[in-house]
Amino acid sequence: MIYLDSAATTLQKPKTVPRAVMKAMYQFASPGRGGYAAAMGAANLMFQCREFAADFFDTSAPDQVVFTSNATMALNIAIRTLVKPGMTVVMSCYEHNAVTRCVKAIPDINVLIAEGPLFQPEKMIESFRSQLKQADVAICNYVSNVFGYLLPIQEIAALCREKEVPFIIDASQAAGCLPVSVESWGAAFVAMPGHKGLYGPQGTGILLCGAHVMPEPLLYGGTGSASVEQDMPDFLPDRLEAGTANVPGIAGLLEGLRFVKEKGTGRILRHERHLIQRAGMQLKSVKNMELFLAEDASVQTGVLSFRIRGMDCERIGQRLSAAGIAVRTNLHCAPLAHQYAGTLDTGTVRISASAFNTEREVDRLVEVIRSFA
Amino acid sequence: MIFYLIVCRSLTYAQRTAATLERSGIPATILRSPTGVSANGCSYSVKIAHKRLAGALEALNRAGLTPVSVYITSGDGSYREVQL
Repeated sequence: MIYLDSAATTLQKPKTVPRAVMKAMYQFASPGRGGYAAAMGAANLMFQCREFAADFFDTSAPDQVVFTSNATMALNIAIRTLVKPGMTVVMSCYEHNAVTRCVKAIPDINVLIAEGPLFQPEKMIESFRSQLKQADVAICNYVSNVFGYLLPIQEIAALCREKEVPFIIDASQAAGCLPVSVESWGAAFVAMPGHKGLYGPQGTGILLCGAHVMPEPLLYGGTGSASVEQDMPDFLPDRLEAGTANVPGIAGLLEGLRFVKEKGTGRILRHERHLIQRAGMQLKSVKNMELFLAEDASVQTGVLSFRIRGMDCERIGQRLSAAGIAVRTNLHCAPLAHQYAGTLDTGTVRISASAFNTEREVDRLVEVIRSFA
Repeated sequence: MIFYLIVCRSLTYAQRTAATLERSGIPATILRSPTGVSANGCSYSVKIAHKRLAGALEALNRAGLTPVSVYITSGDGSYREVQL
C-alpha cells in the first residue's frame, strides 16, 4: 500500500515505536499508583517523555506538559478553560471541527472569523490585527489540515501578546515538521496529537500549557495525589490527568519524539514538501485538475488538496484505494476551511506525506490518477 | 540510619526534585510518602542522606522547586517534621 494520509495519522512508524509500546505493555503498571518497580518504571518513562517534550517544544517545565488522548481533547481543555459564556473569540477561517464545535458548544459566544485567501499570510495577519481589538481569546491552527497552508503563527502570537489576548494554537499538522516554542510565543496553550507528525501511537496527544495558566479539568477522578481532597489538584499535570495513563502509548510517543528530533523538523519538512511539490507539478497537466498548490512553496507543508472537475472526490478516493493508494477525501472535518476556499460543495482529495514516503510512491499516485482522469 | 524525606506535591514534582538533586551530585530516591507525613493522602517524597540536606535545599532553591515539607527519620519508623 502507498500511504498518503499522514495528516490523519502516520501509519508507518519508526521501528522503535512499536517496540517501546510492547515493552511498556509487558513491563509497566500504573504510574503514581504504587512504589513498586513496575509502577515506578512507568512513572520514570512518563517523566522522560514530559522532560523531552518540554525541552523540544520550549515549555517552561515538564509539569506543563499534559498527556491527552489526542489533540481534540487537548483543544477542549484549552478552549473550555479560556472561553466563557459572553466572550468574543477570534479564530482563523481554516479551523478544524475540534475547535469550531467546541466553541459552539459554549453558550452565548460571539465568534469572529479572521479571513484571508489561501497561501496569503499577510492578509491573515491583517485580519487578526483588526479582529483582535474586540477579542477575549484567539485560536489559530499552525497549518491547515485541508490545504497544508502554513499560517503566520509567530506574527499572530506577537499580535496576541501586544493586545494581551490569550492565544490557543492548534499545532496538529505542525508538530514534528515545524518548530514549536510555547515560551517565545507566549501562548496560553498549544495542542497537538501524538499520532501524526510525532509518529506515536493513536490515542496519544499533548497539551502544552503556558506558565501562567491554571487550566480547568475536562475529566475528574483519581490522580494518585492529594487523594483526601475532593477537588482536583491545583497543580499540573495532575489537575488534567485523571485516571490511568496510556503508558504504552506514551512509551511509543517518546520514541516518536526521539525520531523527529534526531531527523530534524527542518529535514522532515523539506522532504514532505518536496514530495508534495513533485506531485503537484505533475498533476498540473491532468485534464480538469484543480490543485491547491501554493506558488510560494514556503507557505505550504506536505499536504496537498485537489479536485477534478466532473468527478466526485469520493469516487477518486475509491479508484485510488483500489490501486492500493490511501488518501483522504471530502471535508476532512474542516467545513469552515472549505467554505472559505470555495470547496464546501465538493470537498477535496487530500494527499499528505510523511518522512517515510518516497518519490516513487508519489509518481505512482500521479500515474494512477492519469489513468482515470 | 538517619535520612531526610522531602515531601512533594505530586509524582512529577518529586521526579523534577530528584532529577535536580542528582544533577547536583546528591543521590536521591523517590518513594511513596509514609502515611504520617502526607497530610492530603497519597504523595511522593524524595529521600536523601542526612548530611545532604543543606546542599539539597540550596539546589532546589536555585531550580525554583519548593518542597511541601521536610521530615527526618531516625530509622525506627518515626518521622519528625523539620522546620526550615
